[in-house]
Amino acid sequence: MTALIRYQAALLVRSQRWLPPFILYAAFLAVGVQSGQPVLDSVGYAAAALLPVAAWLVRICVGGEPPAARTCVAAAAGPARAHLACLFVALAAAVVLGTAATVVVTLISDPAGTDHRTRVPMLQAGGAGLLAALVCALLGTAVGAVTNRPVLRSTGRAVPVMLLAALLSMVTTGSPAQAAVSGLVTGSRTGRVPLPLLPLAGAAVLAAVAIAASCALTARRSP
Amino acid sequence: MRDDLRLDGVGRRYGLRGPWILRGVDLAIRPGTLTRVEGANGTGKSTLLRLLARVDAPTEGRVTGRPRTAYVPERFPAALPFTAVGYLTHLGAVHGLSRPAAARAAGEWLERFGAAAYAATPMTALSKGSSQKVAVAQALLAAPELLVLDEAWTGLDAGTRAELERAVAERIAGGGAVVFVDHDPHRLAGAPDTTYTVRDGALERRTAQDSPTPSGPHVLVEAQGPPDGRLPVAGHPGVTSAEEIVPGTHRLAVRASHSDVVLRVLLTARPPWHVARVSADPVDADARRAAHGSGPDRPGHDQESPR
Repeated sequence: MTALIRYQAALLVRSQRWLPPFILYAAFLAVGVQSGQPVLDSVGYAAAALLPVAAWLVRICVGGEPPAARTCVAAAAGPARAHLACLFVALAAAVVLGTAATVVVTLISDPAGTDHRTRVPMLQAGGAGLLAALVCALLGTAVGAVTNRPVLRSTGRAVPVMLLAALLSMVTTGSPAQAAVSGLVTGSRTGRVPLPLLPLAGAAVLAAVAIAASCALTARRSP
Repeated sequence: MRDDLRLDGVGRRYGLRGPWILRGVDLAIRPGTLTRVEGANGTGKSTLLRLLARVDAPTEGRVTGRPRTAYVPERFPAALPFTAVGYLTHLGAVHGLSRPAAARAAGEWLERFGAAAYAATPMTALSKGSSQKVAVAQALLAAPELLVLDEAWTGLDAGTRAELERAVAERIAGGGAVVFVDHDPHRLAGAPDTTYTVRDGALERRTAQDSPTPSGPHVLVEAQGPPDGRLPVAGHPGVTSAEEIVPGTHRLAVRASHSDVVLRVLLTARPPWHVARVSADPVDADARRAAHGSGPDRPGHDQESPR
């Protein structure tokens, strides 16, 4: 599995296809986050924006290899394991990006509530932001896993469905990402740092189910 | 290969209501055997190979056995952001080699296929034939238990085609199983243990009478063994004929693709045999075929036809 992950990671890094989502995410943060803003609002914003980026990274990773090369790897390692490595690398890239963004945003933000008077402990706020980012990365990976190969294979269907699913999982009440982000926003108003463990558990379960389903399906669909 | 790879009543179709590509396929691949799959275009040969390589799951029926498998596609895309040796090192590691061993094997196989000069070339800059060499090298790196070749010879130059035939013979001698599809009827002619034809979604085993007589380039080997010694390569798939010219000295006609394998068996036998002489076969393959009776006609009577 290590060799597979290393291969997929090298494929992602060297293909440079990670660049557009990374740049878009950076631009999104540059527009929405300014230094001196309340920390919990800003890390919530950074986490929310990570969800579609994570789904996009999945799309890049599962479609990065030409089909013949994919078959060579699938024959050697098994198609499900090869697909799992793709999804793992996408999730890892999203987590790395989300962690870096949350750390930077935490450092430049004002450690205070929305009213700029209530003190919010910086370390705890950063921790809550990291957990929310992880929730969004997991949920984005789940969305990407069920809206790309092997589930949806034509670009014309996969991209709109993926973007719509990413948006819905961000705003629908009851979604772990929505719960984590709105928890941060509410916490900013009350001055109490939330600990989004329940959304994290929910996102982990959803991601596991989506990843397992997509790996199980990969040998059953046409190449 | 710890246990046989078996297909039991296997069928495959794409989509919920798609037509059946294959149906009711029963097949067992035993270690150390060469299997040829024939059939017209679009009959499902590639689907069968994908099922054997276990990259495709059957729609119905069961596939059992999971040998370490390598697969060579007929067209290998160059659109990968690696150098040839970089890609092969990654794939060697995926096949289960350590990274230093994978890098070493990558260099060796590229050299064997005459592509050592392209080792540091980006895959995107490789010609079609050179990237096919990379695809073939990828499959042979880790001595797989099952090698699946889907028209792997397509696009290779003559020297590399012969080298790949030798590599196949070596893999079988090493206890691996090889399954291949190729449209050239002379590819490894006479060597396959079993030949199947895919027709109308079903698999037919070809009978011995249909098989072409052994043809293709041969090598004459004269070997001396201990008195009353049994020829260690008797019945070997690479040996077309064997005769004892003087007591203790045997003259063997060996398929050119299998000459290295046969010599290795002779030299590593206990007690070892002495190889007295190796020469090109003066008896042309055509003459041998004439001596054996019928056989498919080949253009270019005296010279070896281009393949």
